[in-house]
Amino acid sequence: MSTGSDRPEGATPAPVHWAHRHLLDVDALTRPEIELVMRTADEMHDVLARPIPKVPALRGLGVTILFYEASTRTRVSFEVAAKNLSADVVNIAAASSSVSKGESLVDTVRTVEALGADMIVMRHNVSGAPYLAAEIFGGSVLNGGDGWHAHPSQALLDLYTLRSRLPGGSLEGRKVVILGDVLHSRVARSNVWSLTAMGADLWLCGPATLLRGYDAWAARGAAGRPFTVTSDVGAALKDADVVMALRIQKERMASGMLPSLREYAARYGLTQERLRAAKPEAIVMHPGPMNEGVEIAPDVAVDPRSVITEQVANGVAVRMALLYLLAGTRRTEAGA
Amino acid sequence: MSGGEQTIRGWAVDPSVGREGAAELTIRDGVLERLEWLSDAEAEEITPAGTLILPGLVDLHAHFREPGNEDAETVATGLAAAAHGGFTTVALMPNTTPAIDEPSVVARIRAAAVASGSPVRTLIYGSVSAGRKGETLSAMGELADAGVVGFSDDGVSVRSGMLLRNALLYAGSLGLPIIDHPEDHALTDGAEANEGLIATVLGLKGWPSAAEAGSVARSIAILEDVVHDVPGARLHLTHISTAEGLHAVFTGQGKGLPVTCDVTPHHLALTDEWIAGARRWSWDVPRYEDSEAVDPWVSGAIVAPPFHTSLRVNPPLRSPDDAAACWVHLGMESAIAIATDHAPHTEVDKHVEFGWAINGISGIETALSVVLAGVAAGQLPLLKAIAALTTGPTSVLGDRAGIAPGLREGEPADLVVVDAGATWSVTAAALRSKGKNTPLLGCELPGVVRLVLAGGRVAYAEA
Repeated sequence: MSTGSDRPEGATPAPVHWAHRHLLDVDALTRPEIELVMRTADEMHDVLARPIPKVPALRGLGVTILFYEASTRTRVSFEVAAKNLSADVVNIAAASSSVSKGESLVDTVRTVEALGADMIVMRHNVSGAPYLAAEIFGGSVLNGGDGWHAHPSQALLDLYTLRSRLPGGSLEGRKVVILGDVLHSRVARSNVWSLTAMGADLWLCGPATLLRGYDAWAARGAAGRPFTVTSDVGAALKDADVVMALRIQKERMASGMLPSLREYAARYGLTQERLRAAKPEAIVMHPGPMNEGVEIAPDVAVDPRSVITEQVANGVAVRMALLYLLAGTRRTEAGA
Repeated sequence: MSGGEQTIRGWAVDPSVGREGAAELTIRDGVLERLEWLSDAEAEEITPAGTLILPGLVDLHAHFREPGNEDAETVATGLAAAAHGGFTTVALMPNTTPAIDEPSVVARIRAAAVASGSPVRTLIYGSVSAGRKGETLSAMGELADAGVVGFSDDGVSVRSGMLLRNALLYAGSLGLPIIDHPEDHALTDGAEANEGLIATVLGLKGWPSAAEAGSVARSIAILEDVVHDVPGARLHLTHISTAEGLHAVFTGQGKGLPVTCDVTPHHLALTDEWIAGARRWSWDVPRYEDSEAVDPWVSGAIVAPPFHTSLRVNPPLRSPDDAAACWVHLGMESAIAIATDHAPHTEVDKHVEFGWAINGISGIETALSVVLAGVAAGQLPLLKAIAALTTGPTSVLGDRAGIAPGLREGEPADLVVVDAGATWSVTAAALRSKGKNTPLLGCELPGVVRLVLAGGRVAYAEA
């Protein structure tokens, strides 16, 4: 799959066009910049194939992983990625709290910077929090997911996974369906930007209560690029090339947005039967963690068409690429 | 200057007599001795784009945070900010700590106002409910005796319909209005930004316009029910921000009910796209000619990082259509006043995550400039705009407040001289308020206040 496997052993790709000090969302990325991330991830994929998957690209750089919200795959994926690049990694599992209850984000970021962090990978349950960190932090901020707003590394690893699976590696005109709790999903929001940027025919589908507001967005498009919003799961899945199921959380029942998980599973769950409406070779995705038997049937999750574990594996390569590219802007600034 | 004589020529605007034009004023010993409207020949070069002479402005809605949160504002700093903004009368909301629910708190604020030495008049609202808890009535009669000009639980709506009904009846019999903050809190629990395109894209919890319109409709229905029993009952709905909410007020007025409302400078001038990083005036968003340009991600209007907490305010900044509706209803006088909802906050409360930032914009010093910018853009005639900042608010308060804005000969001068042709930079240092929490920081605004006289005394004079 690599485009760079003919490079000399040990060489690292050159980030010639990368100008972003922070990665806060994918909305600011142009298609060539997204392509650069993909190519760089290819290189990192090659690194990961070596017996000792380690390069010195980030040697001497401090990467602080600052998570205000529970996470397994994203946190570990970033940690492995940073270590593979020889960064000095510090993990902080911060208690999520408002200013009245604990140290403010501003103070925490200043502390982390004083302790020598060059990059912060941040997860926070309030939309926009990484922008506040970026405003005050002297290094680079990489958004590991903020509230309902954005999850750029997930969107890019989803894209990377799809390109490796789709014939020709192109999403142009491919029907991609994101199915589930779109309203509360940062994965869906970031994917709206990246998938439409790559020319996909994007459909967002779920119960009307979990799509609220998206009609306004679809009416304008993502920076004018059209996508479709519907509660009609049959219409959404018809002839789909890709179906991504999103996690349904129990809190949605307490807040009156869904009658029950049982009813959700019956009406919107991704089952083999529903999947028959999609193309025979349709790719099945899920950003995890899964509620098997709710938004995705267990046999669909492990179906040959499912790339769910591949998504996790690709996550490390894509996050290595992102850390590498952001570190490159740092070197450029220091050298300038 | 209170001891001397001064002559000022400029474009005078006096809503109390419905007149504007070139004029010459003479002020002697603080008294407006002479006001001469100039003939066309004499008025050469005097236009509304130059020096304006206005009656002292009246703010129906300000928060000066004393007692209880003097880090954010004090009565003294609030009054200095008001004067800098051209206001010679301010009405203070009772969401202090403790709340203004009994006369001793009124006395304390009065004492702070006197001690400040400011000639700006301080009017005070009492709370509707004891402790603003929405359960039982405050000491309304005693507060009225202490001189409050109305009652409000501002910050929240009077949630209980029964308590609002009783408050309208009781305050109505005292001859005082109820000022309600319309919000159906069940619809806004955890809400962060106006429901629609911007909130959806940014992943912010939507704040539906129905939360305002529904609350307005409820309160008007209750008013309709009680007004037969107590003809003095009056309802004023503050900081209406949506087209639907304004329409509900308009409908109530159409039935002849004693209901009024105000809009804020920020809901007139700013829209929710500012949270995405756009920095266009509401009237500069091309809504009709080119529908795509309303989307800041398409039109290239995004020039700043998103999620700036100075934009977090209750009610939230709305759509361009809502802002346009605010101007339209000012024009129809269904919205009778522009009230600042001046809400100063400390950096500790504001420099945090967007969803956790406290609501409010420090706005009393930029209000006149923002309104003049809208007037210059053709949103409202100058005379109507100044009426909404002077005679409109006093009509809401009624005669009991004893405020009568106007340029009247023989009375102590109460006026603002503002250079509409000059601009000023909104910087933290330029603001007299302790609250630097305005999204207009860094902006260059039209309308430089040169001189403010309140009750014949200098409240502000440009250095």
